Amino acid sequence: MNKRQPAPRSLTAQLDRLPQWPLYLGILLLYPLLVYPEKVLFQWTEISVGMQLTYIFIYAILALGLNVVVGYTGILHLGIAAFFGIGAYITGILTVPAYPFGIGFVGSLICASLGAALAGLLLGAPTLRLRGDYVAIVTLGFGEVTRFSLRNLEEITAGMRGLNPIPPPTLPAFLATPLSWLGIQNDWALDYRLFYYLALGLLLVVILLLRNLERSRLGRAWVAIREDELAATCMGINAARVKLSAFALGCGLAGMAGCLYATALTSTAGPDAFDFSRSVIMLCCVILGGLGSLRGTLLGVLLLIGFDNVAAPALDGFLQRANINPDDNPWLTFSNWKLMCFGLALILMMRFRPEGLLPSRQVEAELHSEAQLHREGASI
Amino acid sequence: MPPLLEISDLRAGYGQIEVLKGISLEVQPGEIVALIGANGAGKTSTLMSISGCLRPRSGSIRLAGQEIHARAPHEIVRLGICHSPEGRKIFPRLTVLENLQMGAFARSDKAGIQQDLDHAFEMFPILKQRTTQAGGTLSGGEQQMLAVARAMMGRPKLLLLDEPSLGLAPLIVLKIFEVVKKLNDEGISILLVEQAARMALKLAHRGYVMETGEITMHGPAANLLADARVQAAYLGG
Repeated sequence: MNKRQPAPRSLTAQLDRLPQWPLYLGILLLYPLLVYPEKVLFQWTEISVGMQLTYIFIYAILALGLNVVVGYTGILHLGIAAFFGIGAYITGILTVPAYPFGIGFVGSLICASLGAALAGLLLGAPTLRLRGDYVAIVTLGFGEVTRFSLRNLEEITAGMRGLNPIPPPTLPAFLATPLSWLGIQNDWALDYRLFYYLALGLLLVVILLLRNLERSRLGRAWVAIREDELAATCMGINAARVKLSAFALGCGLAGMAGCLYATALTSTAGPDAFDFSRSVIMLCCVILGGLGSLRGTLLGVLLLIGFDNVAAPALDGFLQRANINPDDNPWLTFSNWKLMCFGLALILMMRFRPEGLLPSRQVEAELHSEAQLHREGASI
Repeated sequence: MPPLLEISDLRAGYGQIEVLKGISLEVQPGEIVALIGANGAGKTSTLMSISGCLRPRSGSIRLAGQEIHARAPHEIVRLGICHSPEGRKIFPRLTVLENLQMGAFARSDKAGIQQDLDHAFEMFPILKQRTTQAGGTLSGGEQQMLAVARAMMGRPKLLLLDEPSLGLAPLIVLKIFEVVKKLNDEGISILLVEQAARMALKLAHRGYVMETGEITMHGPAANLLADARVQAAYLGG
């Protein structure tokens, strides 16, 4: 074996040596209960890291949905934000006092997921027969159409203001007492931790679901289609239906994330929260982490959304408090450089590690030279 | 007994262009039939129509008497036609083993699949050494072997092979043709599309010659090999 390992490979080795998921899960489960780390972080950053983690969990569900479509099945979906928005608005319509439904959180979670999946089916059924780039254009267009519809259907969606207030979920009585022992108050507005655990729990359910699907017949069919659609068809895979199933599942997960997002915000936010840049950032999360890889996608969300929502505003705060930027000079405000850092990171990644940080084995195999893989032979 | 495969007056094309202008051919059970012809004659389109990937405009395709030309590709696979497409089309990022398992996608008899897997490794020992390697890292010859083995995993009655010799060294082609012969001895009927006309006709029982979307000649392979026109046009003689 060559002594000088190629750089990407050694990085993989390093990342593989990171402690495994029980540790991460343990940290995430304990973090809010210990109270102290949240307090310290808040003093440093003036940001509720726990609350932001909640949003990271929600975006993780969204990104995992997108990963089913783009990562596993290889359909370039540029309009995931539309389905995120559809989920949010379904939740809004079904729960805000202005409407007569008021079905509450659980009902709206189910309706938002199914509704977004149905929208995915309706969009996908006629368009997934298109090849490659055309699907991307269709999804991109659908995203914009959805956003403008949400803006212009003012009687239904309240236009730019968005629907609010969305009531918080009701805590089942049998959970209220044990949670109060842990020091968690039964008040969704005052204590971020209820929503934190709710989002984390749903994220875990989604991860388990996808882990099983990945190894199922359907999961293998998705991957086969990504690899070569004609060959997959020759193997007896019903390509149209299998692609549609991936599309509907991905959009349904996006709708679920949208419901959580709106409930956490207690508002659907305005239509512009679901614009093209949201779709692109989610796509970047998936690509940065590693297309088709569950843990890669999760890492991508943590890094990008964490950077966007926690690191960048925290840095702004430092600069201000350290008197480097006392009068809000835009050149010295880190947030204004955020997108540039973002772009630079993506360019560097495409140059040095195109398969993403934690790629799935298959994508990694594709993006490295044959010679390299031959050399490493059995290790793949 | 009806022929295993019977195509009559098949027309098909892409957009404005008609590629197959009413072709008829048949494959009897247990036969190897070679379909030879120049580039663009419509050989691949013929196979694509049989496997359902290209929808015919008119005419009929029957498998053991049953009409199949209106069926979807995934149904046709389950009726017993496996297609190894042109250019091998293996799954580059899946391992050799996963590629072979995909070949059995339409089946659910685990014991039978395992048996066929062992059989495939017996036919192509090189694949056994490569089970955990990504398909795209194999050499061209190995990829072609994988493509044939993968098609076999569907346990077909009729195997459609599209240019197995494409881009391969003559020695490797011989090896692949040997396996094709063996498969045929086991009772699988084969429709072989080839540009390497001499080798294909030596292997086949019967042959068809295709020119610009039409069958211009057919007959026992030996007769075609001896035919002056075929020799002049396809055998470099």
